[in-house]
Amino acid sequence: MAVRSGRSAIERGDRRFALLAATPAALTIAALFVYPLGYAVVLSLYELNDKRPAATRVVGLANYLQLLGDEKFLASLARTGVFCLFTVFGGVALAVGLGVLLNQPFRGRLAARVLLLVPWAVPPVVNGIMWKLVFDGSYGVANSVLMTLGIVDHRVQWLAVPDLTMGVLVFAELWKLTPFLTLMVIASLQSIPASMYRAASIDGAGSWQRFWRMTVPNLRGTIMFLLIVQSMWSIKVFDSIYVLTGGSGGPAGATTTVNFLAYLTTFSYLDRGYGAAMSIAIMVLVAVVTAFWVLVLGRRGKEASR
Amino acid sequence: MPAPHRTLTRRALMGGGLVLGGATLAGCVSPSGSSDTASSGALEATGDAGGEISILDDNTNSVFKNGLIDTFQEQTGITVKNYEMANFNDLHDRFATMFAGEDSSYDVIMTWAGWSAEFGQAGWLQEISQDALPSDVIRPALDAVSWDGKVYGLPKFASVQTMFWNKEHFERAGLDPDAGPQSWEEFVAAAKKLTTDGRYGYTCDMGNPAGAYQNFLRTMLLCGGELYDSDWTPQLDSEAGVEAMSKLVELFRVHKAMDPASLQITNASDLVEVFAQGNTSIVFNWPFQWSVATQKGAKTSAETVGNGLLPGVNVRSASIDGSEGYAISRFSENKAAAMKWLEFASSATSQTEIVQQEGWFPVSQEILQDPATLEALPVVETYQKSTEYVTKRYGTPWSNELDQLLSVHVNRAMNGKEEPQEAMTAAQQELEPIVEKYLG
Repeated sequence: MAVRSGRSAIERGDRRFALLAATPAALTIAALFVYPLGYAVVLSLYELNDKRPAATRVVGLANYLQLLGDEKFLASLARTGVFCLFTVFGGVALAVGLGVLLNQPFRGRLAARVLLLVPWAVPPVVNGIMWKLVFDGSYGVANSVLMTLGIVDHRVQWLAVPDLTMGVLVFAELWKLTPFLTLMVIASLQSIPASMYRAASIDGAGSWQRFWRMTVPNLRGTIMFLLIVQSMWSIKVFDSIYVLTGGSGGPAGATTTVNFLAYLTTFSYLDRGYGAAMSIAIMVLVAVVTAFWVLVLGRRGKEASR
Repeated sequence: MPAPHRTLTRRALMGGGLVLGGATLAGCVSPSGSSDTASSGALEATGDAGGEISILDDNTNSVFKNGLIDTFQEQTGITVKNYEMANFNDLHDRFATMFAGEDSSYDVIMTWAGWSAEFGQAGWLQEISQDALPSDVIRPALDAVSWDGKVYGLPKFASVQTMFWNKEHFERAGLDPDAGPQSWEEFVAAAKKLTTDGRYGYTCDMGNPAGAYQNFLRTMLLCGGELYDSDWTPQLDSEAGVEAMSKLVELFRVHKAMDPASLQITNASDLVEVFAQGNTSIVFNWPFQWSVATQKGAKTSAETVGNGLLPGVNVRSASIDGSEGYAISRFSENKAAAMKWLEFASSATSQTEIVQQEGWFPVSQEILQDPATLEALPVVETYQKSTEYVTKRYGTPWSNELDQLLSVHVNRAMNGKEEPQEAMTAAQQELEPIVEKYLG
């Protein structure tokens, strides 16, 4: 009995110490995350447009209901979907391909891996400025190269035509994010025992079979992680759009994704209540997409391991 | 009976956190508006003022940093603690964030018609009493700092768009270099003739929402239209509105006399360079085009740059206003000293520098009438002529929403995705509820 109470005292002491040790971190998180998030939730329940201060009032969930019928929001959601389609699936597929390639022994592999990291090391704003200059309609090097190669016969206005600008945006994002994704794939590939591949080869498995039946299943966890983070980043994309389009989300709203629309609504139109509702909706969307990937890939992983 | 042993469970901790968080939010969040600590009455002129001020300006005028701040400090004894210049395109959001947080870091901010209306209506700018306005200020320039009958600042320079042309290009194309096009028809004919040698006759800057709005509005005024009627009902789908859109589309798609890069150029500073480097023959631009086109390094000079009124479609001419000014933050704790800065910026001392060093039009009556001004800035003559014609900007609290929605339809029309009538009808339908929301 004495031993039990002694243990309890020790446990209580440990618990107190743990709480004490965690307090600074908890307070920091509360200040930097919980408070702004709570503030955003409160704002989203208000009609609050700074240019109409007299009209400020609590509207409950009206802002959220408005979102459901807001054509601009729904259009931006569709645009975000298209953007994600290319950057999430394209980015992860590209990363797996590059990862497998860079996992093969060849001369200059180390240099290639180091070079791969360069785009990831470039600050996002610099990345945006770089591609803006490259795709400038008048002086950009993209046009010069394409014209020299005879692919186009006139200067293409990459950032003035809606579809082309979305293409440039996808390209700039893939350039920025693929190195990180590839790095994760390479790290994961290195944990697959080489003996498995050797055994498979002895059993007569070809390259494709080894890739589909060994590499991909062993990368499942990594791929799920990459799909989750890339989905989150793609839904929340902002900096590249801001720099490439001069803060407009144009041309013709072609690059106004949900996150950018929330920014425009909050900071350009000063409609802080509705903007906050959009931001919360985006947060929910990110959570739903994350849960989707965990459920889909997690379940398949369990089925495969049975 | 032993006292029940109470342990700190995770659920209890979370519950406590929620209660604490809710209480904190309830205590701290006040989305319903700003505090009443800032004074709300109109600011009167002051005699002596001391202390120090901080100013957040755009990067249009470097004359302040290059000497005028020193002069101001000597004249008034007020210290300019911080003078910061920032890119115009970044300022709006910065101001909005600053004001929403009731930040008093900056006493004076740069403004123009749209922001004066927007931030003025939000109650973020200090209203200035009519009695406090210096007698020397040109009254129409006050539009840049006014909204709904209230004045929120003082102008620092006046600006209207005029036409600039490259006389060498005109001569080579067989056009009279000394007489610019007098009508839209003549302008289109000239621009077509000047589109040669891989260069376009005309270039503009409609690559961002504000640019699209300005270029459309200017053409609409040149068609003899008005953006709103006397009741603020939008007129985008009026005859003049549709005609304006058609004229721009024709210039681009039918006559092919407008540089396609026009849809990508996002500000006047870039357009200025395109002209000054001889890469286009005609631009409709702000007065500082003259000073850039005649400075060292430019491929144009005072002898080769022509300047005149914008060519009208249904009227002889019209133009848009781009005047800028300074306003005082409502949250400033140094309003009297800030007012001294506003007065200084619109005074003859500052205006002389702005005109002669940077090529903007003066807001001081004395400087406008000074023969030295015309000598330093020949385009002032065109400015004086332009006062006979309509010059508007329609700065409103909904300017950003309008710029954004209009730019979508202007771009679609220019790219052939919408017919001009269709584009203007759609823009009108989108704008009406917005205006109703703010004025209704």
